[in-house]
Amino acid sequence: MGGVSVESGGKGGRRSVDSEINMIPMIDLMVCCISFLLITAVWSHMSRMNADAQVPGPPNPEKELNPQPPDKMLHVEMRQDDKFTLIWKQGPTVVNSIDVPKHGVDVIEGSTTTTRYPDLATKINEEWKANGSHRDASDKKMDQAVLHTDNKTLFKEIVSVIDAIYTPKRDFGGASAQRPAFNVTFSVN
Amino acid sequence: MAIHEPGRRLMHFVPLKFVQKRVAGGGGRSVSASINLTSMIDFLFMVVVFLLMTFSASGEIPLDKNVKLPKAENTVDMVDAPMIAVNGSQILVDGTPAGSTRAIEEAGRLQRIDELFNLLKSKRELWKATQGGTGKSFPGVCILQVDQMVAALVVKSVFQTAAFAGYPNVSFMVGQLPKNEHP
Repeated sequence: MGGVSVESGGKGGRRSVDSEINMIPMIDLMVCCISFLLITAVWSHMSRMNADAQVPGPPNPEKELNPQPPDKMLHVEMRQDDKFTLIWKQGPTVVNSIDVPKHGVDVIEGSTTTTRYPDLATKINEEWKANGSHRDASDKKMDQAVLHTDNKTLFKEIVSVIDAIYTPKRDFGGASAQRPAFNVTFSVN
Repeated sequence: MAIHEPGRRLMHFVPLKFVQKRVAGGGGRSVSASINLTSMIDFLFMVVVFLLMTFSASGEIPLDKNVKLPKAENTVDMVDAPMIAVNGSQILVDGTPAGSTRAIEEAGRLQRIDELFNLLKSKRELWKATQGGTGKSFPGVCILQVDQMVAALVVKSVFQTAAFAGYPNVSFMVGQLPKNEHP
């Protein structure tokens, strides 16, 4: 039987101070805990990447009547084989345009290979720091990125580029952790 | 020298009763043995701590068996929302068929998927009927489980259809890649 022995110099004739704590209930409880946790365990952790469709809605009465200049939007062009093009647009006006070479880095995890674009991620991070419209923690709005892709591009390629777009992160106030600074939508053309 | 009966001699000269009793060797070895459980308890503790750290109260998210999800690093936590699975042949909303992927690919153009639109619209109306009176505004969130080999045309069609049906906040479900530090 398992027990904890407390050594002491007991003298003859007196009741022994050696005592054993019965560990069996504790072991039973731990085995039950392990069984419960193993049965309810989730081994595949899934996450999500936010996107937003730009759907025109009903007019908001609380909105200011004075028209505001449109926010700058980052257009990510991924239709060319050898490069990405990052274009900052304010309304129809092109503010800035940069080419980033398409250098994919394969990440192998088990049987799946994921392509990542660290150069694109770094460039988007720099661009957001230089041109992003919403960078203050009190600003709840997100900067908008528009992804231009052709119809035959595979979804895993799209996710790799969205992953790079979501590299810049910022605080949105409150106790929540940093979240991506951009929100992605798709271009229809 | 006197002749003695054969037997154990070692330590017999010690004039203490408990020593003589011990060296006499009369009885057999005790059958009562105790196993040291300390290492087993330590191991069980480690297992409990590991399982508690990996425990997720939200439970497992149902994943279509024909969908192989891509992986990404910059992700956010899952939310409870209608699940649209898109595999190589069909589109399913919470397990109910809602269109064909091949039909969109054969058409070769961006289009609204009517079955998907009607299903999502009915889900939206159901939400309004059940929770509309509570004062909460409709979140308009749906989650796309898209196979990594599906073409962008299908993804964009599903995305657009979901937006038209009242779900403009579309999230893509992905596997989690380990996080790297960026400059």
